[in-house]
Amino acid sequence: MTALLDVKNLSIRFPVKRSWGRSSWLYAVDDVSFEVKRGETLAIVGESGSGKTTAALGVARLVHASGGTVNLDGQDFLSLEPEDLRQARAKVQVIFQDPYSSLNPRLRAEAIVREPMDSIGTLPVSERPARVAELFEQVGLRPEQMKLFPHQFSGGQRQRIGIARALSTNPELIICDEAVSALDVAVQAQILNLLRRLQRDLGLTYLFISHDLGVVQHMSDHIAVMYMGKIVEYADRLSLFNNPKHPYTKALLSAVPSVDQKRKVERLLIPGDPPNPLDPPKGCRFASRCPFVENACRAAQPPLDEIAPQHKVACIKASH
Amino acid sequence: MTEPLLKVENLRIELALRSGQAPVIDDLSLELHAGETLSFVGESGCGKSMTALAIMGLLPEGVGSVASGRILFDGRDMAQMSDEELRGIRGNEISMIFQEPMTSLNPVYSVGEQIAEVLRRHKGMNKAQAWTRATELLDAVRIPNAAARVSDYPHQMSGGQRQRVMIAIALACSPKILIADEPTTALDVTVQAQIFDLLRDLGRETGTAIILITHDMGAVAEMADRMVVMYAGRKAEDGPVRPVIDHPRHPYTKGLISCVPHLLAELTEERPDLTEVAGIVPSLGSFGADACLFASRCDLADDRCRSQRPPEVAFGDQHSACWKADQL
Repeated sequence: MTALLDVKNLSIRFPVKRSWGRSSWLYAVDDVSFEVKRGETLAIVGESGSGKTTAALGVARLVHASGGTVNLDGQDFLSLEPEDLRQARAKVQVIFQDPYSSLNPRLRAEAIVREPMDSIGTLPVSERPARVAELFEQVGLRPEQMKLFPHQFSGGQRQRIGIARALSTNPELIICDEAVSALDVAVQAQILNLLRRLQRDLGLTYLFISHDLGVVQHMSDHIAVMYMGKIVEYADRLSLFNNPKHPYTKALLSAVPSVDQKRKVERLLIPGDPPNPLDPPKGCRFASRCPFVENACRAAQPPLDEIAPQHKVACIKASH
Repeated sequence: MTEPLLKVENLRIELALRSGQAPVIDDLSLELHAGETLSFVGESGCGKSMTALAIMGLLPEGVGSVASGRILFDGRDMAQMSDEELRGIRGNEISMIFQEPMTSLNPVYSVGEQIAEVLRRHKGMNKAQAWTRATELLDAVRIPNAAARVSDYPHQMSGGQRQRVMIAIALACSPKILIADEPTTALDVTVQAQIFDLLRDLGRETGTAIILITHDMGAVAEMADRMVVMYAGRKAEDGPVRPVIDHPRHPYTKGLISCVPHLLAELTEERPDLTEVAGIVPSLGSFGADACLFASRCDLADDRCRSQRPPEVAFGDQHSACWKADQL
C-alpha cells in the first residue's frame, strides 16, 4: 500500500531577532521525514517546543517550509500554484486545539461548517445546506443547533463543530492538533470515540499531534517522537510503548503516572531543560540530558537508523 | 486515630447568581491528617478549587461565602476568623501553589526578593537573613546553581523552574498544609514527574500535609494516600486511593477512571472504544436540587435517584453517596 502522505526532509525555520540588530534562524523542524498510510493514524509526540505542531502545520502549508517535500496523494503539495493549492486544500483539513478561539464568534454554527465548502467550492451551492445538515448528524449535533452561535455551545460541542468543519470538504487527511487537550476527561472520551468512529466510517487518515501519551496510545498506529525539531524515534504502536529504544522516549514514558499498579517502571529522570534551540548542540541534541551519554554522542548527530522493521531510532547506543 | 490537622464539617458555600444563591459546595465534610496527601478529583466546575479557596479564606468577596458548616484548623473555625487572624494562618500554616507558574509570580521582582518578602513578612527576618534563606530554599527545591539563580527574574526561568520557585515561596514558612491546585497542568510530562518527585520528597522530609487538586487519575494513584471525588459541589466518593481506584463505589468515579485511555503495563492489539460518561456537569442553577446530581449522566439512575439526594454509605474506609453503591 502506498502512503497517502510522504514527507521528506522537511525543514521549517523562523527568523529570531537577537541583540544589537543581529538575527538568526531557529530551526523548529529540522530535516524531518515520515509517511502516513491511507486510513492510518500517525501520532507525533513530544514536549512543548519540540516542533510537533510546526511540522504538522508545515504539512498543511499553514507555515512556510524552508526545505523538503510534502507529497500528498501523488501531488507535490509544497510547490502547488495558488489555484491548484486551493483545490488541494480540500484534501487536508485541521482540527485545532482550542475550541474557543478557533471558531468565529460572529458566525452561526451552520455558517462555520459551510465556510470551507464556500471558499474551496467542493459542492454545487444548492447542495451545501443538505451537506451541512448531514455533517451535523455525523458529529452528533442536533439539527436545531445549526442556527446557534459558538458561545451557546459547551467546549465539547464546539469541538464537534470544528470536526464537522474539517469534514466538510471530504478530506483525505485530517491534522488533529492537540484536538482534545483543552477538554475535560469525560468530554475528551466522547470526542476520541467520535474521531475513531469517523475514521472507520470514512476511511480517514489522521496526523495526530498530542503530548498526552495515554491518548496517543489509544489513537495511533505509528508514533514519531520529536525532540528539538528532530524525530528521535519512530515505531508502530506496540513497539514504541512496549519496547521503547531511545532514552528520551523511555524518559517520556516513565514520567507518565498511571493507575495500573503493574506498570511500575523505573523512572528515568532527565535533569534540566532542553538546550537553547537557537544554538543547538553539534552532536545528539539530547546529549546534555541523557543518562547514557558518552563522548561519541557529542561528536555527531546520530542518524535515524532502522533497528527492526517499522522501528527507527536516532541513538548510537540503541542501534547496536 | 490522632486528631486531624484540618477538618471540614458540612461545609456549604453559596455563590451569588443573578437568579439567587446557588450552593457551589453542598454539605462537604473531609479530614486531612498530618503528613498525608489528599487528592481532590473531578471535572471542571465541580468545586475542587472552590473548596481550596475556602480553606485558604480566599473566596471572592461579595460573590462567594460560607453559608454554613465549619473549617476547623487546629481546633479553630477558620470560617469565623477575622482577616487579621486569617493572615496569621495563610502563608504561615497553610499555603497554596497555583496552576499557572507564569502568572503567579511578579515579573518585576527577582525570585529571591519574592521568596524573601514572605520570610520578612511572616518570620520577621531582616533583609540579609531572608536573602540567605531564599537561596537555601531554592536549593531545597533543586534549582541548580541556586546562589546565582536567586537574582534571576521569572522570565529568565523555564515553566518548571517557576513552579519550583512557587513551591519555595509556599514552603518558606514550613506550613503544616500545602494546597497544590493543578500544579503541573501547564507543564510537560517530564517536568511534571520532577515536580511530583519534589513534592513527595518535601512532604516526607517536612511532614507537610498536601492537598493535591487534579483531574488526572494517574497522578492521584501515584501521589495521594486518600482521595475525594467531587461532583457538582458534592462529595461523590472518598477513601484510600487504591481501594477507590480498584473498586469504585460511585458510577462517577468509575466513569472518570474508565473514560481515560491509560498507559498500561503491557499494551495489546486490542483497543475497545472508551467508556463514555455522556453529557456534561449540570449548570450551577440546579446544584441545590434534592436529587442525585449525577443521575442525568448515569446508566443506573432510577426515579429515586432523580428525586432524593443519596446519603453517604460506608464500605470500610470508603464512602459513596450513591443509591446504588452496593450494586457496584
